[in-house]
Amino acid sequence: MLVGCDGALSIVDPAGPAARSIALLWWVMLVGGVLIFGLVMVLIALSFRKRAACEDDAGSARLWIVKLGIAFPVTVLLALLAYGLVIGEQLLPRESGETVIVRAEARQWAWNFSYDDLPGRTTQDVLHIPAGRPVDISITSTDVIHSFWVPRLAGKLDAIPGHVNTLRIEADRPGTYQGLSAEFSGSGYDRFTFQVIAHDETGWQAFLTGETE
Amino acid sequence: MTDILRIVIAPLVWLAAFTTVYALHGLVCGHAIGGMPFGTISVPRLLLVSAYALAICAQIILLISLYARRFATQSEFVRFVSRATGWTALVATVWTLLPTVTMSHCL
Amino acid sequence: MKALERHREFSRIWASAPGFKGLFSTVNHTDLGRMFLVTAFFFFIVGGILAMLIRAQLATPHSAFAEPDLYNQIFTMHGTIMMFLFAIPTFEGLAVYLLPKLLGTRDLAFPRLTAYGYWCYVFGGGMLLFSMLFGIAPDSGWFMYPPLTGAISSPGINTDFWLIGITFVEISAIAAAVEITVSILKFRAPGMSLARMPIFAWYALVTALMILTGFPPLILGSILLEVERAFGLPFFQAEFGGDSLLWQHLFWLFGHPEVYIIFLPAAGVISTVLPVMCRTTLLGYGWIVAAAVALAFLSFGLWVHHMFTTGIPHMGLAFFSAASTLVAVPTGVQIFAWIGTMWKGRPDLRLPMLHILGFFVTFVIGGLTGVMVAVVPFDWQAHDTAFVTAHLHYVLFGGFVFPILAGLYYWLPHFTGRQRFFYLGEAAFALIFTGFHVTFLAMHWVGLLGQRRRISTYMPEDGWTTINLISSIGGFILAIGIAMVLIEVILHMLTSRRSPRNPWSAGTLEWAMIIPPAPYNFASLPHVTSREPFTDDPELAVRLASGEGYLGRPNDLRETLTVEITSGKPDYHVIYPTNTHLPIIMAAVTGTFFLSLLLKAYWCIPIAVIGVAALAWRWVWVLGRKQDLPVQDIGHGIELPNASTVEHSPGWWGSLFLLVANATFFGSLLFGFAFLWTVAPGWPPPAWFDASAVELALGTTGAMVGAAAIRRARRANALRQPPLAWLGLCFAGTLTVAIAAAAITLRVPAPVEHAYAATLLVLGSYALFHASLGMLMVAFLVSRTALGFTSAARKTEFPVVQLWIDYLGVIAILVFLVVHLTGWLS
Repeated sequence: MLVGCDGALSIVDPAGPAARSIALLWWVMLVGGVLIFGLVMVLIALSFRKRAACEDDAGSARLWIVKLGIAFPVTVLLALLAYGLVIGEQLLPRESGETVIVRAEARQWAWNFSYDDLPGRTTQDVLHIPAGRPVDISITSTDVIHSFWVPRLAGKLDAIPGHVNTLRIEADRPGTYQGLSAEFSGSGYDRFTFQVIAHDETGWQAFLTGETE
Repeated sequence: MTDILRIVIAPLVWLAAFTTVYALHGLVCGHAIGGMPFGTISVPRLLLVSAYALAICAQIILLISLYARRFATQSEFVRFVSRATGWTALVATVWTLLPTVTMSHCL
Repeated sequence: MKALERHREFSRIWASAPGFKGLFSTVNHTDLGRMFLVTAFFFFIVGGILAMLIRAQLATPHSAFAEPDLYNQIFTMHGTIMMFLFAIPTFEGLAVYLLPKLLGTRDLAFPRLTAYGYWCYVFGGGMLLFSMLFGIAPDSGWFMYPPLTGAISSPGINTDFWLIGITFVEISAIAAAVEITVSILKFRAPGMSLARMPIFAWYALVTALMILTGFPPLILGSILLEVERAFGLPFFQAEFGGDSLLWQHLFWLFGHPEVYIIFLPAAGVISTVLPVMCRTTLLGYGWIVAAAVALAFLSFGLWVHHMFTTGIPHMGLAFFSAASTLVAVPTGVQIFAWIGTMWKGRPDLRLPMLHILGFFVTFVIGGLTGVMVAVVPFDWQAHDTAFVTAHLHYVLFGGFVFPILAGLYYWLPHFTGRQRFFYLGEAAFALIFTGFHVTFLAMHWVGLLGQRRRISTYMPEDGWTTINLISSIGGFILAIGIAMVLIEVILHMLTSRRSPRNPWSAGTLEWAMIIPPAPYNFASLPHVTSREPFTDDPELAVRLASGEGYLGRPNDLRETLTVEITSGKPDYHVIYPTNTHLPIIMAAVTGTFFLSLLLKAYWCIPIAVIGVAALAWRWVWVLGRKQDLPVQDIGHGIELPNASTVEHSPGWWGSLFLLVANATFFGSLLFGFAFLWTVAPGWPPPAWFDASAVELALGTTGAMVGAAAIRRARRANALRQPPLAWLGLCFAGTLTVAIAAAAITLRVPAPVEHAYAATLLVLGSYALFHASLGMLMVAFLVSRTALGFTSAARKTEFPVVQLWIDYLGVIAILVFLVVHLTGWLS
């Protein structure tokens, strides 16, 4: 179990486009990080070799500080920053015709979900979405700060009193996904979870016509 | 004390510019100046990019002054450190405010 | 005079009162530095025990060890204690102990302030400990987000303990920061130019300046939240025009620099210890100084990266993501400069070096995961999970605890005068290193598997059981290692053999003295010509002890000298105050103020405020003289004026840097006002301020008259004319400011109904407070002048008062403009 990636709440077991691109980002960063860590450790280990002392301070400063200390991180970081920002742009909830809009309202310790396509219907602690379509969740809170997070589908976004934040999620396939509130909210925080049920096309139509409990 | 100021001035100006641009961004997004077009380019973008350009100009002027003989300091050490922080501030300005040009602004 | 005789004479002048009782009246930096370090280590143990409780709770699923209510107190106090009562005070203690010795002088700039800061720390920390023992400790997490910490969701006294206790402790941080800044800039050995300062002093200077500008936003936030809780002023309540995000901005505006405030002193220790362990000098001194300065500034542009999931538009996040990646560059410069230093020399695997290697392994991993969470999309997933917990422990344990342990073993012979004898340290290092990585490496993974931070329990089917059990076992290994360090240090202090002087063959001045150090540090002050004076002249210690340096003649006063900031040329002569109970009494009365707030005994607050004012008056009063001091001969044919006769006395410098902190506080307040106005929901307010041109004109004129009059008073005094009439005019001007400010506080619309009015009330009160302070200062100067404590030569109190009156003028005019103009504009 120690190195398995699967799990109902695992961000390295993605089940939607947003979570998948972030999981890829993680693996890229992990490989890069391990390589850089290895390089630094090798350089430290090599300093223990027996050798003549080096007296050329200016030359050492050029090598160690200008090349390794400045040029190397600047290159790596610029590439990573660009990669991260491009992914971030792609995950934004831009306007599009086929988005489903859901309102999520948090309080200690329950989520209420209501649906623009189905006025009047609210569900508590269970969110219904269609699979394979982008869903925009408008998130807010009525008491303290909470956070809406379905790890296998997308990143998290806070529910803040007086503000409405919009998060885009999408599930590749029908199924049930675990959700969490991920901002500490007092004594009921441990158990503050919810479920996302992604329906196939017929199931979603059934939900919209009120046939699903 | 002037030597201490010489070392911190450029990064201080970066910090001021950085905070100002962030505040400006909050202001245009908070107050729905968002959509207004100005020719082919939107007003918020124009504001943010001009602030960015201004900040870079300020840093270049500071850096030139740090190299100028007119404002020279007695201490070679202070000269080195202040130029290093001057370069840092210029790079920081270009680097940290680049999103004004490349990112979508109010999403 | 022989060296021994000189030693006895100086010891008599500088010694604290004998025995245990001496601790309460000591103002000596060596004593206070040790007291700071011991107290901080005590809190480290307490915080560590809390960490063990957390690991015990999380070791198995369905744990019934602690209920959530108790568990929430445990993790909140663990974070709070480690940050505020261990890390920052450890820096303060180390700096207080070491700086005068490294800088080649006899004490810090303001010895009584050091003591006051220490007692504020002890009393404030004591309040938090008390709350924990009685089960009423803060329980909302160490960053205390409202509305969870507001009066509705947290009605108990728990939150108040945090807000009030931590603000009290922060007085100590601000005091120490002012102290350290002025000491490094002015109190150095002759010849020690900026370029020749020991590298630790540079790091301490940068850190102190960061404390001065980083802590005020949190102090402001704590005050606003406490005022909201106690009196219902709705700064953070969305339905009344407040915004809980304001707290997050203020908190992280402090909280991110805080991380570097903790790391930089530790980096200073590494830059000092590593070259000695490698028998060489530091590579790239100038680069490292520039990197530290760059790091300090960049760290103020990172705060929003703690708020990536709060719904701020992506461009806003991008600025901070960019800054957060950029900050890795100056860190990289330092890391590679240190590795280059190791290549340059011949590293020896002695105990401090082992801890430095522990630092490298741990901190580099922490830095790399730090870059990962700086990337916005990844942070959307990782935020508030165990991944972040693991990351921050890698940074803080790697970037602070390992270097501090290296420093502890390096300076242990200096603290105690003994050699290390019980070789427990190597085994302790192995346990600490192994235990740490076993605890936290896999914790990254369990975070990726979805374990949130701050949960008190989990289910077997979550799949986190194995990793958590391993983490807990690692935690206990780590604890055993720390316990062994403690045992070794205690045994060492009790029984070890005496250490030779300079056991590591270091080149810095702190080793050019007898160890453990005498209370006066140096029998005469060295003339410094390089960064490593003790390497250049191995006989330096003996020559200083036999009085060959400056100020080598004991004359019944605690004397030292200051230097010009850049060049290190001798500037003026300083006489220190001696042992006194004033600091502990002042801290106790300050504590009464905070206690009255905590217990809502508001009747007691005016008494405490008057008490503090009276003690502060006495504090400054006892330094005065009725005769002019002649120019002082410091030896080697140099004569210096006394500090009482100069324009910029230590008091002026101290005021200047205190005002830097104060201006940051005021700036944060204005930022808060602008933030609420533009971002918070629930605006416009139901009622606007009824602006008055008369009050605006009156207040502004008063401020300008005050500033002009204090200048005339100063000039009159210099020309040997009586300054009293001008001082009277200055008082009148300041009084006018006070009246105009009081008018604002009385006339604001109902402050409990909207954050707008509440903020105006705070702005008005801020101006009123400073005007009252200005009046007190002018009254003080009038008394001094009337009783003959000033003269054309003893003029140094005039510039200090002028500085405060000028500051009052600026902030008062800004407050009047902001308040009245917002009234009109609407």
